Amino acid sequence: MKQPKSLTREQYLKQFSRAVRWRLPPREPEDAIADYRELVFQPERDESKLVEELGEPVQAAHLLTDVKSYRRWLKVFAVLAFGLFLLAKWDYMAWSNVRLSFAEQWWYPVWTMAVGLALSLYWFRRHGQKNGPLPKGLVLAIAVVLIAGCVVMYGIWDVTGAVMYEQVSEHTLRLRQQTRLVITAMMYVGTLSAVAALPGLVLAKCYDRRWLALYVLGVTVAAMIGFVTFYFKSIDLDYLTANMLQSYLFARLIPIGIVGLIGTGVALC
Amino acid sequence: MLKKDLLELCLLQLLDGGDKYGYEVLTPLRAAFPDTQESAIYALLRGLGKEKYTEWYMAPGGGGPDRKYYRITSAGQARLEEMRDQWRNMRDAIASFGVE
Repeated sequence: MKQPKSLTREQYLKQFSRAVRWRLPPREPEDAIADYRELVFQPERDESKLVEELGEPVQAAHLLTDVKSYRRWLKVFAVLAFGLFLLAKWDYMAWSNVRLSFAEQWWYPVWTMAVGLALSLYWFRRHGQKNGPLPKGLVLAIAVVLIAGCVVMYGIWDVTGAVMYEQVSEHTLRLRQQTRLVITAMMYVGTLSAVAALPGLVLAKCYDRRWLALYVLGVTVAAMIGFVTFYFKSIDLDYLTANMLQSYLFARLIPIGIVGLIGTGVALC
Repeated sequence: MLKKDLLELCLLQLLDGGDKYGYEVLTPLRAAFPDTQESAIYALLRGLGKEKYTEWYMAPGGGGPDRKYYRITSAGQARLEEMRDQWRNMRDAIASFGVE
């Protein structure tokens, strides 16, 4: 028979807290954690028999789980996490093995963003819970993603506005270097924004629904970069003037960005 | 009656004897059903609260921090009576087979 592992009271409560915050609907975890704190820290309780008497922390959380609502949450999480995976992959590899005959490829990241924003905002506005003042870590994370996104967008603006002029000027080498730098920045900032969105999602479920703002902003930046990446790959520069390229891109990027910022604001409220 | 029902019956019976805090409820039940972990009994206790068969309040406990005390409600009393009947019927049915 498998021997139950030994945990200290603090370790037990920590593991139990994590598990119930992930599994239980809002408000319920705090109640269950308070009850378990009382049970675990009973003076009569023998710490070495904690797991034997109470059961494994995850198993204890499982017993309190409403399976139906937990499965619903897992489905929502799977859809949102898959969207993040696609965005990260598209931004990093600049390639998609999904091909839809009725739509241009550069719109795929925007659709992914639309689904992610609609589903996550709907879910967390209904099932999420605010918890105290705005976390400082969230403010910092949002600032980092926002600044990185703005820097990349400025780089795209700069490069797309200069292409035709620079092609015939003596600064071609400098432009190539600048373009390479912007493309590299797009690749990393896009991928990392999608990666940063995942903890936002997890923390929104476990601690405070306002962490969703990090998810929304991360998805927006990743989608905007994905849009530009796929567009760059599909255009023929010989048939475009600089202004056409810049105005086409930013006439679409600005509304996408505004929608993302509104979504971020809604998540923070 | 399943084991879960028997545990519920015992929980309500225990609270019918007076208000008790969590550990006070769980310990005798674990002693009576040693193959059942306290987390399972706690889950049943919580379920009884959701069904409004029990309610809780905070009160000072033994010189330490406040404790959560559980008490049976009138709905819980009715449920206990119903479960006692079921238990008696089952006990009689089993006894009719000669099981002591």
